Formats: sequence, structure tokens, C-alpha cells
Amino acid sequence: MTRTDEELVARSRTGDVDSFNQLVVRWERPIYALAYRVLGREEDARDVCQDTFLRAYRALPGFKGQAKFSSWLYRIALNLCRDWIRRQQRAPVSQMPEDMDPAALLAETEPAESIEDLVARRELSAIVAEAMRSLSEEQRTAIILKEYHGMTFQEIADMQGCPLSTVKTRLYQGLSQLRRQLERRGQGVAELVKRT
Amino acid sequence: MIETFECGDTGALVAYLYEEGEPEIREVIAGHLTRCAACSSEIDGLRLTRQSLQAWVPPMPELTLQMPVPTPARMPWWRAPLPAWAQAAAAVLIFGVGLSVGLVRGDVNAPPQEPSPQPVATTTIDTPSRSDLSRLEQRLRTEMAQMRTTAATPVRQASSDDDMMKKVEALVAQSEERQRREFTLRSVEMAREFEAQRRIDMATVRETVGQFQGVAGTEIRQQREAIDRINNFIRVSQQAR
Repeated sequence: MTRTDEELVARSRTGDVDSFNQLVVRWERPIYALAYRVLGREEDARDVCQDTFLRAYRALPGFKGQAKFSSWLYRIALNLCRDWIRRQQRAPVSQMPEDMDPAALLAETEPAESIEDLVARRELSAIVAEAMRSLSEEQRTAIILKEYHGMTFQEIADMQGCPLSTVKTRLYQGLSQLRRQLERRGQGVAELVKRT
Repeated sequence: MIETFECGDTGALVAYLYEEGEPEIREVIAGHLTRCAACSSEIDGLRLTRQSLQAWVPPMPELTLQMPVPTPARMPWWRAPLPAWAQAAAAVLIFGVGLSVGLVRGDVNAPPQEPSPQPVATTTIDTPSRSDLSRLEQRLRTEMAQMRTTAATPVRQASSDDDMMKKVEALVAQSEERQRREFTLRSVEMAREFEAQRRIDMATVRETVGQFQGVAGTEIRQQREAIDRINNFIRVSQQAR
């Protein structure tokens, strides 16, 4: 029987570690994906993901269920990402870009997808990732929460602590900037979009 | 409350793009888009951008985060029971102190002294007699012997050693099993890596050959054009003669 987040949270609050581990299994991938898209590096995303669950576990007695557990978790993860970005800005460390891993490429191949299509998809993914880096942190986070985590404008506003109209503005400006960046790359991107 | 829509209202366009907002205003915007080329083009561009965003997929590693099961809190050292050796040492210390006190107060080996002129009652209270000391010694010896038998139990020690050995063997077996599994996984991974690299190389070779053919074709065409120009020049010069 699958338990709801609320049930698992209630059990975890009584000290049931297994219940909390079920929550971890349920939410680790979305939290990792969020951290990866905000930070752009696998290793950092993994650290933030782990830290998010540790903090949540410690703060569980104080979680009274005012918000959804997932929203609470996302908020912790975003705060950690923000701290990480600030630390990087204070003491920037030159980092090697993450290379294309052939094994990962092969593992990603869908049954009907040719290697050429896969390479095109990876190429477009890299272009989008690069374009996203040009956005401000607020715009990027708003787009990530909307596009990849399906949050409503109101949820994003709560998460970012800003009015709903600001969320719409951030989304519009962010998307427009991305559009300009992608258009600058010309026909190539349009073809890649068609292939994917 | 139904909002109104004005051409170029980006907030409303974004709400329309993400299918949020009230249905009435969405209908108004949909109607406007059929008439306004600028807004329609804006929405199309944003839709294409959203489509591009779907290509951005993060690499998903194997995540095996697990919260550690909390261990019971350790008892403070001053409340923990003393080990057997410490209890024995304490007993020896107490015995030694008692003996020293006895020796200081009166030499137990010395011959019995003449009765002092002091009252008898006072003497019996201040200096312990030889029989008192020997009783005390006997009692301490008995207690120490009891402590030794209860604290040090060689049979239990041996059984705990066996348990420990079993645990160590189990851990070693687990470690070997894990190493075997990791080795197998690594081998499979290497094979897949090799296959992926081969496929990428093939794709690159195909692409390079295509490019080369394109370049070669262009050069041949240019050479033909040059030859044609030279032939024309010769023909024209011959006609002029």
C-alpha cells in the first residue's frame, strides 16, 4: 500500500526512519533535477540534494504541515542552492565543464532513437543549458519551477517570496531572453527542435 | 473577478501560454490572437522556446540517499558502570589506604605496649586492635574475590570472541560479494562505453566524409568553371585573329 506524503511525514515525526527514507526515495530525483538545473553541475546537485534531506530530517519536528511537504522540500533545496551560488560568487572556483559521457549517452538512447537524434538532443540540451545560464537567478528559478516542476504561478510566488505579477514578469522576460539567445543561433536550433 | 485584456499585456500572455487564469479571459486572448499578428507571433515564439526547454534533461545518476538509523544515546562516562579492572584497582587502593592508616596509627608488628595511664574507654575507641585489622583484611579479601568472579568471566569472553569472529567473517564475505558485484558492473559499463564510443566515432566519420565530399565537389566545380573560362578566352582570341 502506498502511503501519502502526509502519512509518511506523520510517521517520520515519531522517529520512524524507514518512513522518512520512503519520502527520500519518492522525492530525491525531483530535488536532484531542480538542484542540477539551478547549479548546472552534477556533483554539486548531488551534494545539495543530500543536504536538503538531512536538513529536512532535522527540521521535521518543526514542520507542522502548513505547506505541502514537497513545497517545503523545494524551498529548502532552493535556499541551499542560493547559498551555494553566493559562496561561489564570493570565492569563484574554476570548474571543468562536464563532458559528454558515452556510457550515459548510450544509456539515454530510447529504443526508437538513432544515435544522430540522440546527439542532436544532447546538443540542444547543451544550448538550452548555456542559454539558461545567461538569465538572472530569479528568472531561471521561476522558469525551472514552472517548466520542469509544474508549479502554479501562486506556488512559485510563495516559493520566491514575491507577488504573482512579479512571477509572470520573470517568466516572460526569461523566456523572451531565451528566445533571443536561441534565435541568435539561427536555423540550427529550429532543426534540432524538430528532431527532438 | 474577470480581468480585461489589452494588446501587449505580457502578464496575460504568459498566463495564456501556461494555460492559467480564468477561462473567460483566455477566450478573449484566443480571439485577439486571431486578429493581432504581433501577439500571435509572440506566443508562437514563446511556445517554440518552451519546446526547446524540454530538451534540457539533467543526467540522472543512481541516487541512494538513506537517512542513518539513529543509534541509542551513549551514557555519560560518569554514569557508565566501571570495568572490572577498575573496580579491582579501586578495591586494592581502598585496602592499601586502610592498611596504611592502620600502620600509621600503630605498628601492628610491635609488641603490645604497657597499658597507658589514660582511661581504658578512650584507648579502645582510638586504636583498632590487631583482631580488628585482621577482620578488615579478611573482609576486603572476600569482597575482592567476589568481584573477580563476577567481573571476569572467561566463558562469556570466549563466547563474545566467537561472536566477533563470526561478525568479522560475515563482513569479509559481504565485502567480497560487493567487490564481485562492482567488478561485474564495471565490466558491463566498460563494454557499453566502448559500444557508445564506436557508434559516436562512426557518426563522426560519416559526417566528416560527407563534408569532405562536399568540399571536393565544390573544388571540382570551380576547376571546371575555370577551364570553361580559359576555353572561352581561347575561342574569343582565335575568332579575333
